[in-house]
Amino acid sequence: MMRSSAVSLALGYVILGIVALVLFAAPLWYAWQVTIQDGRSEILQADAQRLTDVYRRDGGDALKNFIDARVHMQIAGDRILMLTDSSLAPLAGNLSVWPKDLPAQPGNYRIKVDMGEHGVQNSLVHVAQLGQYLLLVGRDNKLFAPLERRFWYGLTAAIAVLSIAGLLVGLITRRALMSRVYSIRQTVSAIIHGDLKHRLPTNLSDDELNTLARTINGMLEQIEQLVHGVRNVSNSIAHDLRTPLAELRSRLEELALMRPAPETAFAEIDGAVADVDRVIRIFDALLRLAEIDAGMRRSGFVSLDLVDLATTAVEFYAPAAELKNIRLTLHADAPLKVSGDPILLAQALSNLIDNALKYAPEGGLIEVTIRRRNEALAEIAVSDNGPGIDDTEKAKVMERFYRGDASRGTPGVGLGLSLVQAVAKLHGSALVLADRQPGLRVVMQVPLAAEPPSASPAPAEDERVPAAATTAM
Amino acid sequence: MKILLVEDNERVSQFVIKGLQEAGHTTDHAANGRDGMFLAASEPYDVIIMDRMLPGDIDGLTIIEVLRKAGKRTPILILSALSEVDDRIRGLRSGGDDYLTKPFAFGELLARLDALHRRSQGVNREIPLVVGDLHMDPMSRKVTRGDRPIALQPREFKLLEYLMRHAGQVVTRTMLLENVWDYHFDPQTNVVDVHISKLRQKIDAEFERPLLRTVRNAGYMVTAGD
Repeated sequence: MMRSSAVSLALGYVILGIVALVLFAAPLWYAWQVTIQDGRSEILQADAQRLTDVYRRDGGDALKNFIDARVHMQIAGDRILMLTDSSLAPLAGNLSVWPKDLPAQPGNYRIKVDMGEHGVQNSLVHVAQLGQYLLLVGRDNKLFAPLERRFWYGLTAAIAVLSIAGLLVGLITRRALMSRVYSIRQTVSAIIHGDLKHRLPTNLSDDELNTLARTINGMLEQIEQLVHGVRNVSNSIAHDLRTPLAELRSRLEELALMRPAPETAFAEIDGAVADVDRVIRIFDALLRLAEIDAGMRRSGFVSLDLVDLATTAVEFYAPAAELKNIRLTLHADAPLKVSGDPILLAQALSNLIDNALKYAPEGGLIEVTIRRRNEALAEIAVSDNGPGIDDTEKAKVMERFYRGDASRGTPGVGLGLSLVQAVAKLHGSALVLADRQPGLRVVMQVPLAAEPPSASPAPAEDERVPAAATTAM
Repeated sequence: MKILLVEDNERVSQFVIKGLQEAGHTTDHAANGRDGMFLAASEPYDVIIMDRMLPGDIDGLTIIEVLRKAGKRTPILILSALSEVDDRIRGLRSGGDDYLTKPFAFGELLARLDALHRRSQGVNREIPLVVGDLHMDPMSRKVTRGDRPIALQPREFKLLEYLMRHAGQVVTRTMLLENVWDYHFDPQTNVVDVHISKLRQKIDAEFERPLLRTVRNAGYMVTAGD
């Protein structure tokens, strides 16, 4: 039980509480003691004063008688009274001898006084000089003992209550913690055994364990996706890299077997190099995807102008569009600063335009739209008036290496849209494939760059083509 | 050119040395970091080809950093199997001048070495470029062929400028993508070819002698010679 962190924590708090209590009580105790001491001295002084008054008024003999009377009246041993001459020989009072160690000088002293049958008393005494007489008055400290005792009882009781309550709370916390830790442990061991679908139990509260559990669940989500991705990719590699490799192999083997004329042989070798280049391309694309998926590129985010990036991309593809007699247009206005990875965004946009070029018909239309979507997001949309994608195919086209029937016979390795999707995801956005009837409209979002508030708010919102209108076109 | 190749893979080394020899360059070869460091520091080279991962305790980036600290300005092309963008940035930041990932086409390597060498000779951005009867004034942005002015769009101008600055050298598609469009990825289509043929329409179509040539399996070259 001692190994439970909740209990050690509770123990620590209890000890801390006790220390604090003691630290708090010590000055209190000191102040109290000083006050009592002062009070006692005052009482003694008042006593002595009263006797001194008697001496001043009526002389030494009267004082002697007064003291004797007082000693007779009081409870035996209650207070010390003594009158001596200058040689310290007792003249009156309840002490038979001047206490040893007590100097014959006026003042307050704390001494042990032997009271004969009343035992030795710890006493506070006051000595006063009255002419040739020495007057000694004192009181036993025991008179104040009950008060002190009560103080100590109080302190002890407080410490006891603190300890018991602390330990109880510790044990209860431990029980509660243990049950939650136990369920977490069970989940985690299930995950260790390979079932990545499990998630830690959470509830609606925002306590530390819950927050931690939610964070861990987020991590598990990511891990599961990555593992799933890796599985997918390795399946795809097995399938899609094998094809060009098989072609390459047969090409080379045939070359080795047939030993054709140099002319044919060189052509075959060129073909083989092209095959290898294709394999390398697939590899590069996969590596790039893996790099993006791992989220490593987020460190490469900078503030960049999305409109500028789109202008370059549209300009880059313009001659290719011209060749197919396709109208490729850019709809954007004022510069739009976003926070993103310039290389990846350029690649994603280029992939989207490239795709659109593949599917838009002769004389078709491709529109690239860059607009501010709201206070936090910019939107990139690429639409074409090609055949579009069936709803049933929409999920599949983003899978790696998937190539729709329409793309058979076109160049490409089937990684384009999955790369765009990965780039969108890296920028915190989903990739939306919408119908344009006819045609496809692909939309992704990019976070706007954090700008100083002086930045001009999106001007002329109305002039822009709203998304809905574009879809309806 | 006198070239130093620091590369531990024997096959790649042989392939590169042989190719460079055929292209008329002399090549020294170091198969580990220690020899590479020694040669690079003691001999004058026009260009250094540096593999990133080398056997022993000295890797390519370390050599580059040491050379740069010692004030050696020899252009360096980094060869590496690490293809991630961040690796590339790290390589260039350490003092490399260009970065080529393995596996690579020899034509690409050769073209990049030529470009690096040319760049290290110093580029004067103000001097008009002349190839045959094709003139370009980078300052006024005027292009003429013979006595006929040629109107180019800004990107076409940049494309032609890059080709003319490397006149007589092969320029690959990747080099054009990187230097003209700042595209550090493979757009997977032949868009560069389309741009070239558009440019060719403007500068070559109505003239007897074509200046912008396609080099098979490698790229393009602007040249007035044969």
